[in-house]
Amino acid sequence: MLQFCEWLEKNPWIMAIDSSIVISLILEIMHYAGFFLLVGSTVIVDLRLMGLAARRRTPAEVANQLFPWMWTGLVMVVFSGFFMFAGDAADFYGAITFRIKILWVLVALAVGLVVRHLVPRWSQFSSIPVGAKIVAFVSLVLWIGAILISVEVPAISGVG
Amino acid sequence: MYNFFMALAKWLQNTWWALDISGSTWAYPFVQLTHFTGLSLWIGTNLSLDLRLLGVGSKRQTAAQLSDALFIWNWTGLGIAILGGFMLFSSAATKYIPNPAFEIKLGILVPLGILWHIIVQWHAGTREQAEIVTPFGKLAGFLELLLWLSVITAAVSIPNYDTH
Repeated sequence: MLQFCEWLEKNPWIMAIDSSIVISLILEIMHYAGFFLLVGSTVIVDLRLMGLAARRRTPAEVANQLFPWMWTGLVMVVFSGFFMFAGDAADFYGAITFRIKILWVLVALAVGLVVRHLVPRWSQFSSIPVGAKIVAFVSLVLWIGAILISVEVPAISGVG
Repeated sequence: MYNFFMALAKWLQNTWWALDISGSTWAYPFVQLTHFTGLSLWIGTNLSLDLRLLGVGSKRQTAAQLSDALFIWNWTGLGIAILGGFMLFSSAATKYIPNPAFEIKLGILVPLGILWHIIVQWHAGTREQAEIVTPFGKLAGFLELLLWLSVITAAVSIPNYDTH
């Protein structure tokens, strides 16, 4: 894996992208905008399940409206994140905080998929089941944790 | 005027909360967490409404319905972002004041963005009850999208203009 990272860093396309100030800026903007869209839309669905947001709409209505933006945000984050990673791949690979961040985000996404899958069923109840509220709370905590870990990656590892 | 702001910045940087934040290993990340959590809610909900106004995505809810559904957490997000942003600014105020990217972000783009958002939200709530969005609604959503992307551009450019 380290060898792949070192190869990636030295790839001419990656080096060209990494050395371009304009492209690097665009990637950073895309990463932040995608992250805000991803987390913002997911958190609103979680808050609805907890009965704290958009109470005039069912959880399924809120989810149907916002989940496409969760996926759009995710695509933006992954696309831009890959190129931001690739320029310093070996350093990122060696940074424990970065590995924790990726793992944490994957867990948050997995819980998000559980929410997506079960929201139609939960919406059929006259009141949201306690289990749904717990899952939504866990999702919320995971995404806030993802933000915390993301800001710690450059601070602790010095990369990014 | 600049001297006034720098004097204010020096005072702010020496307040107890600013000294706590800049002197603590853990306080600064939590202040960043506050700012970014608020921004996720504020910009995430803004972009969701703007994209609906542009006619992209699900049309099961009208723009008016979506605006209403997101209203409270949209503005709560801004409040949280401002709280976190103020704390971040306090901890290094004299560094931010002379930074042109910061000046453009906070002096021009953010106030313009908030003002335009009030117009977009008012328009969506009162004029966009139908499935098809009006031409002004589409333009308003598009302009707001551009404004907040500009704010993000200015924000990520701040470290590039750091003179300290």
